[in-house]
Amino acid sequence: MALLLHQATTGLYLLAAIASALAVGMASPRSARVGVGILAAGFATHTAAWLALHALPETPSLTSLPLAVSLMAWVGTGAYLLMLMFVRGSLLVMAVAPLAFAGAFFASVALPGAEPPAEGTDSLWSHLHVLLASSGLALVGLAAAAGLLYDVQHRAIKAKRRARLRLPLPPLEALDRVNTVALLTGFVLLTLGLLSGVAWVEAVEQRLWPGTLHANATLAAWAVYAVILAVRYGARLGAHQAALSSASGFALLLVAVVGVRVLA
Amino acid sequence: MKLLLIGMSHRTAALELRERFAVDDPRPALEKLLASDEVAEAVLLSTCNRTEVLLLCHDLEAARLRLQGFFVRELGRDGVGSFGQLAPSLYELVGHDAVRHAFRVASSVDSMVVGEPQILGQSKDAYRAAVECGACGPVLSRLYQRAFATAKRVRNETRIAERPVSVARVGVELAEQIFETLEDKRALLIGAGEMTELALEALRSHGLSKVSVANRTRERAAALASRFEAEAHGLSELSTLLTDADVVLTSIGGHEPVLTEPLLRAALRDRQHRPMFVIDLGVPRNVHPEVEKLDEVYRYDLDDLQTVAASNEAERRREVDHAEAIVREEEQRFDGWLTALGAVPTIRDLRARAESIRQAEIDRLLPRLGLSSEAEQGVDALTRALVNKILHAPLSRLRAEVEREEGLANLEVARSLFGLDDGGANGGPDPDEDPSDEGGGNAPS
Repeated sequence: MALLLHQATTGLYLLAAIASALAVGMASPRSARVGVGILAAGFATHTAAWLALHALPETPSLTSLPLAVSLMAWVGTGAYLLMLMFVRGSLLVMAVAPLAFAGAFFASVALPGAEPPAEGTDSLWSHLHVLLASSGLALVGLAAAAGLLYDVQHRAIKAKRRARLRLPLPPLEALDRVNTVALLTGFVLLTLGLLSGVAWVEAVEQRLWPGTLHANATLAAWAVYAVILAVRYGARLGAHQAALSSASGFALLLVAVVGVRVLA
Repeated sequence: MKLLLIGMSHRTAALELRERFAVDDPRPALEKLLASDEVAEAVLLSTCNRTEVLLLCHDLEAARLRLQGFFVRELGRDGVGSFGQLAPSLYELVGHDAVRHAFRVASSVDSMVVGEPQILGQSKDAYRAAVECGACGPVLSRLYQRAFATAKRVRNETRIAERPVSVARVGVELAEQIFETLEDKRALLIGAGEMTELALEALRSHGLSKVSVANRTRERAAALASRFEAEAHGLSELSTLLTDADVVLTSIGGHEPVLTEPLLRAALRDRQHRPMFVIDLGVPRNVHPEVEKLDEVYRYDLDDLQTVAASNEAERRREVDHAEAIVREEEQRFDGWLTALGAVPTIRDLRARAESIRQAEIDRLLPRLGLSSEAEQGVDALTRALVNKILHAPLSRLRAEVEREEGLANLEVARSLFGLDDGGANGGPDPDEDPSDEGGGNAPS
């Protein structure tokens, strides 16, 4: 049931991504709103999939990559839908829906191989680490999506070719607000995820830092975000630079968290 | 019944002539027009770009002469001359062409600025005025309802009205692509000019409320500021003013740029890199091109805004073909209704003929049969149902046939076949009767 719901979620996220691609292709804000509607349906199915997963006699470990990625897609989509209540940004669906689809697709393909928690991995710290880090990653992903759209909109206005860009993107100020809020919240969650990870390693291995590639790359990405925020709030970085930096930071973080584990 | 339209617009007449035919209140003129026998219904549309009269008449030639005289004597002011002199500036459309024209006008396809929204409101006002003075009957009412529906379809199904085409509105659209709302933003007006003031007015109409004005002398600035309920400043205060300004409008004389890259860079630092939209309407330009390098400054000069406006207008024109297709589709639908209206007298006569026969037979037979009153009612209902059932098929076929123009000949056949012109009920078409109305509650389903 849980797998079936995950697959249904993947299908809905895919439909949302197709609707948002059509919105871009046909310059149709209406298609973007349809995309948001489908994404919301996908989010509801995704929530049901999570509930079904917890009803299983042997729940796979939250620390397994498929579940962590699924959680990331769920939090990211939920955060975006929540954000829509405050910001006029239905066109942001064109960046969020493909990311949500990628996450749900990976999860539904890899979920059957996910195993129940191994000895020592099923602790409060491990769960906290995955919850916080995945949520943090989802939010900085949302910030990156807003950052990319900011760049597109910024370039179009600067190039003075507004008529060619037929699709009305959200205003720069709104994209910057999404970027800032998502980045700040995501960074706080990432920091807490990092600290809970340290506590988990300390509890299992009696040392503070595991020194693995995953841990080192994550720390490097966290440092990049710390620098972005410090510079941004030190007022030396404009919104466009911050948008680009948050997109690059997310790419690095994705490699650190997902890429390293997939390659391993 | 024929439709006739005579009018002049920006396409056929210069403004000097059009203004002499402008009508503030069309009702008195319409009442005079309706007083003549030639005109059954009429609507008069008068805007700054056009004055035209659409009417429904029985005799086209008589109505044409009446309308030509009406244009010269009733509408024209300040010696417009004879109709012969006026004729080259007028257009005349009959039947389908008049319908299509009314639909194109309401849909803003025929407007000077294609897609402009005012014409629909003006058409509705003209229609309302005609209804109020009793000049608009069922045919023109139906025509205008379809014209408004066509305009709505054109607006919803095409991009004809999507992009602004005036420099001031382009400025607002750009500001709205940068800022989420203009309500909490401050504009700084440097210098003055007609275009700058138009742009500022457009921004204010979209919520911008805080305005500062700077000029070479404080006195000049104060004079301008009083018009916009703004604060007045000298140019020496620019560096401070720029810190708070989200939208900067410049149009000030002089050959040296007033806004330079170092000045704006410093302002951006002080305003923590919040974006700034600079509209440079000065000639020569007031903002140094180097400013483009600053990430958070979006600078548009007059040429840039005009280029965007022209490109938007070209985009609207590309949508005209799509709009015309909708107009043609709606026009055909209306034509079908109008043609079917021609079947109304025949249908009515046929029903009347059948009913008179039925009634005569009932009157002849019932007294002889000596039935109870309940049985008499039963016989009455039975004969009524029989007549309706017999008539249903030919009437339906007749309605369907007349919607095709070649099917009109069948009307004559029906009249001859049923002897409708041999006496009995007759008369002109009654447009109140909808040709698609089944009538006769007992028609079979």
